[in-house]
Amino acid sequence: MNYGPLIFLGVFLTFTAAWVGLVFMPNAQLKDVQAAVVEGSANTNPRPYSGLEASGRRVYVAEGCVYCHSQQIRAGSYQADVERGWGPRRSDPRDYVHDYPVLLGTMRTGPDLTNIGSRQPSSAWHYLHLYDPQMVVPGSIMAPYPFLFEKRKISGQPTPDSLKFTGRYAVNAPEAGYEIVPTERARALVGYLKSLDHTYDLPPLEERK
Amino acid sequence: MEFLPSIIMFVVIVALTGTAGWALWWAIKTGQFANFEKGATSIFDDEEPLGRPTDAFPDRKPENLK
Amino acid sequence: MTTAILNPSKSPSGHEPADGPLAQARKYSELFQRSEIDLSCRYPVLAFFVSGVFWLLVGSILAMLASIKMHNPHFLSDWSWLTFGRVRPAHLSTVAFGWGAMTGLGTLIWLMCRLCRTPLRFPAMLVIAAGTWNIGMICGTACLLTGYTTGIEWIEFPLWVGFILFVSFALVGIWAMYTFGARHAGHVYVSQWYLFGAIFWFPWLYATVYILEYLVPVKGVSQETIHWWFGHNALGVFFTPIGLATIYYLIPKVIGKPIYSYYLSILGFWSLALFYNWAGAHHIIGGPVPAWLVTVSIVGSMMMFIPVTTTAINHHMTTYKNFGVLRYSPTLRFTVFGAMSYTVVSVQGSLMSLKVYNEPFHFTHHTIAHAHLGLYGFYTMVLFGALYYIVPRLTAREWASSRTIRFHFWSCAIGILIYFVLLSIGGMIQGFEMNQAGDSLFKLMHSHGWWTGTKLFVEGFKYKNGAVPFIEIVENTRPWLISRSIGGGLMALGHFAFAGLFLVNLLGIGPKRQGPTLLRSDEEGYRKALQGDEGTEHDEPSEGNMARA
Repeated sequence: MNYGPLIFLGVFLTFTAAWVGLVFMPNAQLKDVQAAVVEGSANTNPRPYSGLEASGRRVYVAEGCVYCHSQQIRAGSYQADVERGWGPRRSDPRDYVHDYPVLLGTMRTGPDLTNIGSRQPSSAWHYLHLYDPQMVVPGSIMAPYPFLFEKRKISGQPTPDSLKFTGRYAVNAPEAGYEIVPTERARALVGYLKSLDHTYDLPPLEERK
Repeated sequence: MEFLPSIIMFVVIVALTGTAGWALWWAIKTGQFANFEKGATSIFDDEEPLGRPTDAFPDRKPENLK
Repeated sequence: MTTAILNPSKSPSGHEPADGPLAQARKYSELFQRSEIDLSCRYPVLAFFVSGVFWLLVGSILAMLASIKMHNPHFLSDWSWLTFGRVRPAHLSTVAFGWGAMTGLGTLIWLMCRLCRTPLRFPAMLVIAAGTWNIGMICGTACLLTGYTTGIEWIEFPLWVGFILFVSFALVGIWAMYTFGARHAGHVYVSQWYLFGAIFWFPWLYATVYILEYLVPVKGVSQETIHWWFGHNALGVFFTPIGLATIYYLIPKVIGKPIYSYYLSILGFWSLALFYNWAGAHHIIGGPVPAWLVTVSIVGSMMMFIPVTTTAINHHMTTYKNFGVLRYSPTLRFTVFGAMSYTVVSVQGSLMSLKVYNEPFHFTHHTIAHAHLGLYGFYTMVLFGALYYIVPRLTAREWASSRTIRFHFWSCAIGILIYFVLLSIGGMIQGFEMNQAGDSLFKLMHSHGWWTGTKLFVEGFKYKNGAVPFIEIVENTRPWLISRSIGGGLMALGHFAFAGLFLVNLLGIGPKRQGPTLLRSDEEGYRKALQGDEGTEHDEPSEGNMARA
């Protein structure tokens, strides 16, 4: 018996079909997705990134945050994401229109960051947490980023956004006369983290044929 | 520019299908499916025939081989 | 022999005595031919192998750094270039594109020459390819450690590094086409189909993903569908075919028996080609992508049972009744370990695409364990088997120490088992706790005993609430992460032992041996072994070999 040609033919047709299905079709279906216009204003949801946020996003990419933090709220039977408080609704293709690269992520070694900006709007907290996560969240296994900060001798007034080692953080404070100051990269990164807020409502998408 | 990704994809699809069709035609023409049982033994020959193991730990003597 | 199959009328010798002078001459010409082919591969293939082993060591060190940082975050955390988020992609890229791809390509080149029965032509071209590939790897790894990354998992190398790798891959591809055209064997063995798959598919995947993610980037989440279409296919239609091609050649060759069912092997190849492509989007189940896409991927993943079953039957039935050879052959040990892992990891992979499985475990260390069983338990172990088989035939020297080989095997095998089993369990606990309502498993086991605690835990698993605080989940995964470092440490230890053995072989500083491995320098011992042989049920030699006699 000679089934060979039959097998070959099936394989090739389907192989090409797979390509059409997984690369071509999603692109054709999603390429026209636009940010939703907020009624009565020129703003859109999500809004475009500011210059600082965009460079913060580059820091996020460079330091490999995506390897431990996802940026997607799953839905359907996946209610745990919503109930854990990571977001009010499922992520939508429109949430990602300004993103390049899209950072959906594959791991939740740390919590999801889709809406970290609304959960944790304090720059001071972010600075302390990035500087030493174990200090702020005991038991955390997040990598510390001391190289995003610099230790400086205080000359005159302390820098306004220097790290505030108050309360139980006091033990981690540098010696007197010195301060820990976020670098430009840290400022940008925190700017980006604070911009991560997709809690706005999106109008339902018209059915696509 | 808007259509460029789609055009690239289309070209790749056509090229792939073309190569695939050609490979199919070639395989049939040269009788690749003619005899599966003989195909299976095509890696053996007189020097390394069927029934001869061809690898062993350095401290094992050849005569110990099955 | 295959020419005889294809052209029965030209079959050379129906009535020639099996031990006549002509047969004798043919015998030695074949021996000469094979060792000639092997020796012609020496420099190009060794260039790939040496590079591969080098990147394996680099990758192992990076892996250990990343793994230790997971449970001791302050370990070497002051240097930006050693931060977890840079070491981890550097680990992936060095082991996948350094060790996996380079050693795989070296094996591919050698297999191509052997299966085409032709000496290696244009060795310089391949040495240049290995060199440019290494340049690409060095640049790419430096980029990743300095934070110059694309941020897309599996294709972190910047565009220009991708271009370097693409060019050197193209050199190998063109070489393979040429070699295939110049072949002396008529039949295309199943391994060659797999190798062709790898050669054709990989550049196509790699170019597509770089074009559509960088040159003319698509917008929004389409990036992720293309990204995972590539990410999954890199494993499925590049690494897997090379690994399977090696298994399909080495197991029969080492045991001296043809594969159980050649028809099934061909069927396995084409069904792999058919279904693997569809599986990619199961990485974004539940994500912001069209639902039909995910459904299609799940179907594709489940269809993978067909090639996996056929391959598993073939591997197992070929080895079955010959398990004794495992004691004698280092190659077979590694290869069969790899073949078994392939079955396990593929079945697990198909199941993981099911929503009920994917839902709790998708974002956990469970997937990391799965990935390592695939690329390490299967692919890397098969490559080790290939190295043990091929390298002595290239250097014409036997391995220096059986003890080191055994240490290498057990260290790596136990290492990956610890890694896979314990990290899988840790990932499952992590996933359950991230998605379930009640208390954490540890709390319940602590207050109710381990059996009742586990029962309560399973009963409370209803995907609700996210009641376990996140930091508690993190703390509960920590012991499993430590066990990962232990398993990884054993694997790394095995790699260094192997690298030492490899170096000794290359430099020829080991003890001289009269081993059974079929070397050109050991024709005497080989001939002696041949006389005791009774295997005669082989085919007639081909025209091509006749002509060479």
